[in-house]
Amino acid sequence: MGILQFDNYIQLCILLFFIGSIIALGLNKKARLCNYVSNGISIIATALLAFASIMQIMGGKDVIKLSLLKSTLPFIRLEMTIDGLSAIFLLILSLLTICVSTYSIGYISSYYGKRNVGLFYFLYMSFILSMIFVFTSSNAVFFYIVWEGMALLSYFLVIYESERSENRQAGTLYIVMTHIGTAFLLIGIMISYSYTNSFDLFGSSDAIPAGAKNVIFIMYLLGFGTKAGAIPLHIWLPYAHPAAPSNVSALMSGIMIKTAVYGLIRFVMGFLGLQEAWWGILIIIIGIVSAVLGVAYAMMETDIKRILAYSSVENMGIILLGLGVSFTALAYGNLLVGQLALIASILHTLNHALFKGGLFLGAGSVHYATGTKDIEKLGGLIKKMPISALLVLCFSLAVSSIVPFNGFIGEWLTMQSIFASVAHGKHGINILLILGVAALGLAGALAAACFVRFFGISFLGIERSEHALKAEEVPRSMNIAMGILALICLSIGIFPLVAIKLIDRASYGLLGSSILDQIQGGFLVSWYSMEFTSNRISSFEILAVLVVIILLSLLALRVLGGKYIERRYGTWDCGFEALNSRMQYTATGFSKPIRIIFRILFRPSRKRSTKGGTAYYPETIEYTVDSESVFEKYIYKPVFVRARIWSRRTKFTVQTGNIHNYLTYIFITVIVLMAYNSFI
Amino acid sequence: MTYIIYIIVQIMIMLLLAPLINGIIKKIKAFTQKRTGPPILQMYYDLFKLIRKNSVVSEASSWIYKAAPYIVFSTSLTAALLVPVTIKLVPSFNISGDFVIFVSILALGRFFMMAAGLDTGSTFGGMGSSREAMISSLAEPSILVCLFTAGLIAGSTSLDQMMMFMQAKGQGIILMNPAIILLFLALLTIIIMETARIPIDDPSTHLELTMVHEAMILEYSGRHLALMEYGAAIKQLIFITLLVNLLLPHDQFIGAAGLGGILISLLIYFLKVIVITVVIALIEINTVKLRLFSIPNLAALSFILSFLAFLQYFLLGGGYVQLI
Repeated sequence: MGILQFDNYIQLCILLFFIGSIIALGLNKKARLCNYVSNGISIIATALLAFASIMQIMGGKDVIKLSLLKSTLPFIRLEMTIDGLSAIFLLILSLLTICVSTYSIGYISSYYGKRNVGLFYFLYMSFILSMIFVFTSSNAVFFYIVWEGMALLSYFLVIYESERSENRQAGTLYIVMTHIGTAFLLIGIMISYSYTNSFDLFGSSDAIPAGAKNVIFIMYLLGFGTKAGAIPLHIWLPYAHPAAPSNVSALMSGIMIKTAVYGLIRFVMGFLGLQEAWWGILIIIIGIVSAVLGVAYAMMETDIKRILAYSSVENMGIILLGLGVSFTALAYGNLLVGQLALIASILHTLNHALFKGGLFLGAGSVHYATGTKDIEKLGGLIKKMPISALLVLCFSLAVSSIVPFNGFIGEWLTMQSIFASVAHGKHGINILLILGVAALGLAGALAAACFVRFFGISFLGIERSEHALKAEEVPRSMNIAMGILALICLSIGIFPLVAIKLIDRASYGLLGSSILDQIQGGFLVSWYSMEFTSNRISSFEILAVLVVIILLSLLALRVLGGKYIERRYGTWDCGFEALNSRMQYTATGFSKPIRIIFRILFRPSRKRSTKGGTAYYPETIEYTVDSESVFEKYIYKPVFVRARIWSRRTKFTVQTGNIHNYLTYIFITVIVLMAYNSFI
Repeated sequence: MTYIIYIIVQIMIMLLLAPLINGIIKKIKAFTQKRTGPPILQMYYDLFKLIRKNSVVSEASSWIYKAAPYIVFSTSLTAALLVPVTIKLVPSFNISGDFVIFVSILALGRFFMMAAGLDTGSTFGGMGSSREAMISSLAEPSILVCLFTAGLIAGSTSLDQMMMFMQAKGQGIILMNPAIILLFLALLTIIIMETARIPIDDPSTHLELTMVHEAMILEYSGRHLALMEYGAAIKQLIFITLLVNLLLPHDQFIGAAGLGGILISLLIYFLKVIVITVVIALIEINTVKLRLFSIPNLAALSFILSFLAFLQYFLLGGGYVQLI
């Protein structure tokens, strides 16, 4: 093995992260040094990883196998296999991590002297390492261990700012929910092991009967669905993401929840095989519900990071919609459509990692500059932080799937796959698919509305509080990191074929086919789904035409308009002459029409109380609007309340505090296990 | 070369025809109210006057406010390129765009218009943006389902390909096809929602209780206002063009090729646009403005119409009813 072989790069990357995390812990007294060293190591390591994964995708069809620990026991085997699918997810991870690490140089500088930077970087690097292992492990037990490790490390990062009680609560909710998901995953793995006697993820699943496969699929769907934040299992997400430091939220939302997409593809498509069409249909339904409800809830939030967290639920919905279309088409034996939908789904995974990562970094910049995450206290930041504002605008356009950014390409491919699926299909799921089209439309438009609100209220208008007044542009490293992400978003939007080709090659190992014959073009993408016509788009042409028209209209205005003077004057105030920042539209006011229309989802309540003066001329008026999540109130809360009552009631009959009872419990357990073992 | 000719003709027709639609609607409304009303060409005069005037820009605003008019105007014109006024002119190769990107381009313009509404710090702007956000969210699913169904019938998502298919199949009596009728009604409802016409929004009022589009652009003056108004007018014409050329195709009746054929085709297109304009004016005269929170009903209506069109297409198994 020469030094230039790229599997060595992956080993080197893992080694660097491992050493780096220990160095970070050792340097915890020297915060500044630790910050630079840790980020330097992560940037180098992830650059190696990016290179290695691109080489793997471009290089060939064979997989890389690495093994950390071998033993004769079936489950203690820590093996890694890197095929195209792993490589594309590793690429997503490394692209985002490079930027997030660059960003952290500036962002963590505000922690000097206040928090333990060494501990932070130890957790940060171990967290990234655990995700690398999740994407590469080829053994279900190893997968389970690193999956659990990822959950625990991200839990510690969520409660990193643990002096605030809401962060601790968010962490508790997160760890509970993620463990419920992991429990289902474990059940699925165990059932599958009981038939195949192997934990190999690349093995055959022929020994599992069809009925058991259905059960295993449901277990995996629940397990991965919890991590993906699919509705109704999403409740941890809007609490955990805002609680973590912003650079960690970017990683969590950008990559960690994508491990669920990877898991579904690897475990269900790769291992179980797609036999039943209803698996895909179920995923489509979950996708539709998550896409629409996710963004609808995002519309109601006033905490910038909670808006982004709910928006992640929406985007996971779109990803799941694509995945569901793919699963269904493959189950019906329609390889072409299945692969197109799979590519759409993975492309949207990549896109979402980039723009949502960028948006979380942007939220971090806002928090860094103003010290608040409450959108109602911001405003006018575009004048104070022009570069950050421009970058956040780019990401907002991307997340609203607007040309010429990358979000649009993912949506277009998803739409094309649905189109091809309906046009070619002869099955009864078409009505569901047309609802999927409507959901894409509704989610897209609501996302645009939500991000106009996000951008408009926080960056435009007049400053709403001192927080916004004292804001300054953030350190350069933070803007550079976001700039790189924005550039990647734009270039995928303009040259989508590069990304599509990469993903197509990456999925070759999974499906053994390529759709590149059907997709053509340099600047443009055209998809020949039909025999005689092609559907094609070209964001580049659209962008070029837009720019030319803007230039021509400027020219025309100069020729026709004559002498032009622009005067700056106060906003029109109806002659009132006392317009102030509190009279602007608020974020809550902005979303009011939507809140009223979809009141069944939000259960809005309002309270108005007056103080002093007479009834008609009070001195102060307090007006509060509250909306609540139906899922929390009507599903989770009753369950939690029941569980608490029940456990309180049974506490003293089971947990007596008497040591003899506990010894009896252990004894009975041992007897039962021995009896079970001898009978089976 | 054909491509450049196509672009020039397309843009010129959109630019020249768009303000006329507003003039005709105003004239018909004035006629029913026993007024003389402004001249049909009034909007041209207004636009010309506005671009020669100086602008006042709010102190609170940023570059978004000044960029928005240009972006709104150019996105309208760019979207116009995807909706051919006559099939005769469409170059032999496809136009690089389909209905998904068409909706996305318009969304870009709308994004900046809503952002500009928030940029001045005025209550009116925020109010307009907030309402526009609601209306556009409600209209978007119907547009996509409507065009998706039309695309399924035609076998392509490109608007020009759809139009070509429709005219090729339109030899029989096209209006006898239930799917087409349903799509026609759905698209007509969408036009009213998208172009700020009366049951949704009143373009001639500046009352804060009712205005939507006008509230967003309230602060604009001079050339910025001209671009905003022009952009909105072009967008209205695009949707009318989409309706008449997609669902009432006419080019199959014209045998003549070459310049003569193109001119006849454009003339028929012009007449069809006038007819739809009159229909929109009649709707505007005969309805009252809906309460803001009744708009979802109208949106649901158009969604259900497009959904039924899809079901009809689907139940007939893609067959095209030809009654000869």
